Amino acid sequence: MAAARAELSIVVVRSGGFTGISRRWAIERPDPDDDWVALVEACPWGQVAADRESRDRFTWRIEARVARRHHRASVPDRELTGPWRELVDRVQRDGSSDV
Amino acid sequence: MNEAYDGLGATFELYADVYDRNSIDGRGLPLDGSVHYEKDYDNAFWNGERMVFGDGDGQVFGRFTVSVDVIGHELTHGVTQYTAGLVYKDQAGALNESISDVFGSLVLQYSHKQTAAQATWLIGQGLFTARVKGVALRSMKAPGTAYDDPVLGKDPQPATMAGYVETEDDDGGVHTNSGIPNHAFYLVATGIGGYAWEKAGRIWYDTLLAGMKPTTDFAGFAALTLAAATKRYGEGSAEADAVRAGWSGVGVAIDGGGAS
Ligand SMILES: [Zn+2]
Repeated sequence: MAAARAELSIVVVRSGGFTGISRRWAIERPDPDDDWVALVEACPWGQVAADRESRDRFTWRIEARVARRHHRASVPDRELTGPWRELVDRVQRDGSSDV
Repeated sequence: MNEAYDGLGATFELYADVYDRNSIDGRGLPLDGSVHYEKDYDNAFWNGERMVFGDGDGQVFGRFTVSVDVIGHELTHGVTQYTAGLVYKDQAGALNESISDVFGSLVLQYSHKQTAAQATWLIGQGLFTARVKGVALRSMKAPGTAYDDPVLGKDPQPATMAGYVETEDDDGGVHTNSGIPNHAFYLVATGIGGYAWEKAGRIWYDTLLAGMKPTTDFAGFAALTLAAATKRYGEGSAEADAVRAGWSGVGVAIDGGGAS
């Protein structure tokens, strides 16, 4: 993998929902594994479909910096599938959390 | 599922008995919902067709079907979708949220036959577990005071325009800035007195059906509520005066200087 061995930082902010209470998760890796980089690159940044029908669903703001590239997306809960879901699950599992 | 059925029934009753509306679309659409969505899911939402309820994580939140105002809130998103068609962003989105809190609270008040003075005006009472320092998720009577917890932080809702929150999260803070129109409704309802669903609720319901645009903002909505109150109760009526005072109390100037 050409883009491997770069610094990685990911922030996930879940906002909205009926409660309106936001939560935030973050992870930093000075020397991330290739699969982290691959997972970030697998997400369809800039191609997120809107959800104009749902009300009170969560919105996920995801910001990632890896291999000197900066990515940012606002992902409706309905669209949080595939690599997005995997990325968020992994940041929630391995990263730190503050409400 | 019984709790959800009870909440569906109570919501259907308020709309049918008080506002003569047959279900959320006005044409008897069968009301439906899903419960126990995902594991530890801390949310209840409307997906454009049905309600979906999580069971909560048991740490911070319990079941989202615990209080009928939550169910009334979600179904009212359906009513708004079929009537005003408000978008879900910024002030129009906060109005969308507030209308759901207003009628959610009225479902609860109607089912307990509480006057405006007797009502708690809390949204989501009983949703937090005993671990959380808070009585509910939102307070229409005193926005910003529903919870203050070392882990969750403090209820961020403003009661007036001076506290309006600009943010990109939560579709522009729709669940935060709803505190402003929520409090305006509380002021109108308590200003009029008696049962809130009878007059204040009627004015808000009339407004939903009367010329709102998807992007109506607070000031535009305020003007429409005043027009609705004037149409139904007359110019210079106590009800129209209460509407004017309510919006003034939260710092929303009515378009056209408030003249009717
Ligand atoms: Zn809502």
